[in-house]
Amino acid sequence: MVRVVPNSGDGRQAHDDGAPSTSGKEYLNYFVHRLLEFRRPEIESLAKTVGCKDEEVQWRAPAGDVELSPFWYLTLPSEEAAIQISKRMILTKMMVEVWGEGETWEELRAAIEAYPEALKAPWLAPEHTFRVVVESFGSSLTMEAQIDLIEKLEFVNFKGIVRLRDPQVRFALLRCDCGDHGSLIDAKVPPRWYFGRLVASSDRGVIDTYTLKRRLYLGPTSMDTEMAFVMCNQAGVRRGSLMLDPYAGTGSILVSAAHFGAKVMGYDIDIKVIREGKVGKAGERLTISSNFQQYGLPAPVGLVRLDMHRNPLRPDLTEMFHAIIGDPPYGVRAGGRKSGVPAEAAAQRNPITDRHTYIPAMQPYTLGECLRDLLDLSARLLVVGGRLVYFLPATPETYDEAEIPRHPALELVANSEQILTTRYSRRLITMEKVRPYDAAAAASYYAERPDPTMAIDRLHDIVYEQLPAAAAAGSAAGSDGGGEDGAAKPRRRCRGKNF
Amino acid sequence: MKLLTHNMLSCHIKGVRNGYPFLIEVGKVSEHEADFDPDFLKHIFPRINWPAFLQGAEAMGCREGLPEAPTEAALTDEQFQKKFHHALLEVTLEEGSLVCPETGRKFPVSKGIPNMLLNEDEC
Repeated sequence: MVRVVPNSGDGRQAHDDGAPSTSGKEYLNYFVHRLLEFRRPEIESLAKTVGCKDEEVQWRAPAGDVELSPFWYLTLPSEEAAIQISKRMILTKMMVEVWGEGETWEELRAAIEAYPEALKAPWLAPEHTFRVVVESFGSSLTMEAQIDLIEKLEFVNFKGIVRLRDPQVRFALLRCDCGDHGSLIDAKVPPRWYFGRLVASSDRGVIDTYTLKRRLYLGPTSMDTEMAFVMCNQAGVRRGSLMLDPYAGTGSILVSAAHFGAKVMGYDIDIKVIREGKVGKAGERLTISSNFQQYGLPAPVGLVRLDMHRNPLRPDLTEMFHAIIGDPPYGVRAGGRKSGVPAEAAAQRNPITDRHTYIPAMQPYTLGECLRDLLDLSARLLVVGGRLVYFLPATPETYDEAEIPRHPALELVANSEQILTTRYSRRLITMEKVRPYDAAAAASYYAERPDPTMAIDRLHDIVYEQLPAAAAAGSAAGSDGGGEDGAAKPRRRCRGKNF
Repeated sequence: MKLLTHNMLSCHIKGVRNGYPFLIEVGKVSEHEADFDPDFLKHIFPRINWPAFLQGAEAMGCREGLPEAPTEAALTDEQFQKKFHHALLEVTLEEGSLVCPETGRKFPVSKGIPNMLLNEDEC
């Protein structure tokens, strides 16, 4: 586990808790303020992907000790690690070697002046080109105000030549000023100034490159581009990985994994989605392959129509995949199906006459069953150290941490909530295979828990159920399900929204 | 469908005991260049059922030059790597069937994608 320590109060690295001090370097990690619970797990997963050991990575809370603050201190073994991580990070804007911070400009200035000259001088040398990046959290700054601030930094004694494009050294001046808007932003972050050397920044442009708005082949549940990248980062997908999405759909998670250099494989029970695709505006056929061609990515190494519940994978197949990532079907938009005839429909089925044209029967597949199949298959098919990343739907009424499916070969690494509406959310679950698959251990684990049913199996009913009479009167509960919760309860804020 | 996928699948009809490997009935085969990655081959080699792989390669017409029973040592040989890579990831069954060796049940492969869904009387 990556260590998290509270803020020491003086803005300097904390070593007063008796723990061995890490030999690494501490940076200010400035997050994008969205998907709040996903941000630290993403960096921890990437640190592991680039080869950092858990004990080399440590979080330290920012001034004010605000859990959801976009500013967190992060210790990494080296600057090189920070640079490697930054090539993949989606939910962090930048990492800064802080030279000073303070509640007021005067405090900031005093802190920068007190920062050792020997550490500053090499970066301020006249032979370097440089620029200063100004960012403000909680309120915006006009271009004029930014330039004024940069001029006020004159005491730093920059000797190099300003160059806005591709400078050799970048500095960051970060302002946090939530003012009266504090209540609109989940995190009540106290006012703060930070200044330092910008060590690494992310390329969020990749989200636009792959935006679903221009994606050729899409379905109603195609995974949002940003989230698909975050999922791949959680799973540690990298060049040379073999990755599987067992609910591939239109292949949006496969595309992101292929972008990171993985060889990808996709399964789906729906033949229309995985094989037939649809017809484009010019009459062309659009399929998963169209998306790979669109981005110039190598095609999936395998696409198969199969049922995860009655799957045709050879029984001795094991330790095949480095990552299994998927969005299991659940009952709000796309409910789960599995092979077989529902008992009540058995009498109405026509006899099978021609197996080539016969459409096999399907019956509902509860989320509890689906996740049991997913976890057991992942425990078998992942390499040790490989990761399973999937979405678990949740509602405030039914969520219970104890209900998160477990498996004797898998360890829970992260559980991050994304609130979707006032009535339900989804949690990105990351599990790591920590020991080889032991069929007997898995069998006895499940024998002790014969019923896979979860409270969330009622998701559809919970989301669409009749609102209390008083609330219903105010917000006609239409067939679209409506996100309005009426006046019965205080609204939960959609924390996934971009502020 | 590439031989990588073929190697992973077996017939799962209820009661079938010898459902592996599937026989391949070839309609149309195509070849697509794939990224050559020796590390990936090293990962996948010990996980491949070799007799099934050879049988599949025979059916798909890319058996030539693949040894009967290679050891891991073969992976240092570039000639072997290239042939293994080609048969595993580049040769693709576009149209055809996977035939259960026990029951003869055909699982169609169309547009490169095997349809492994069972009818209700098979599961």
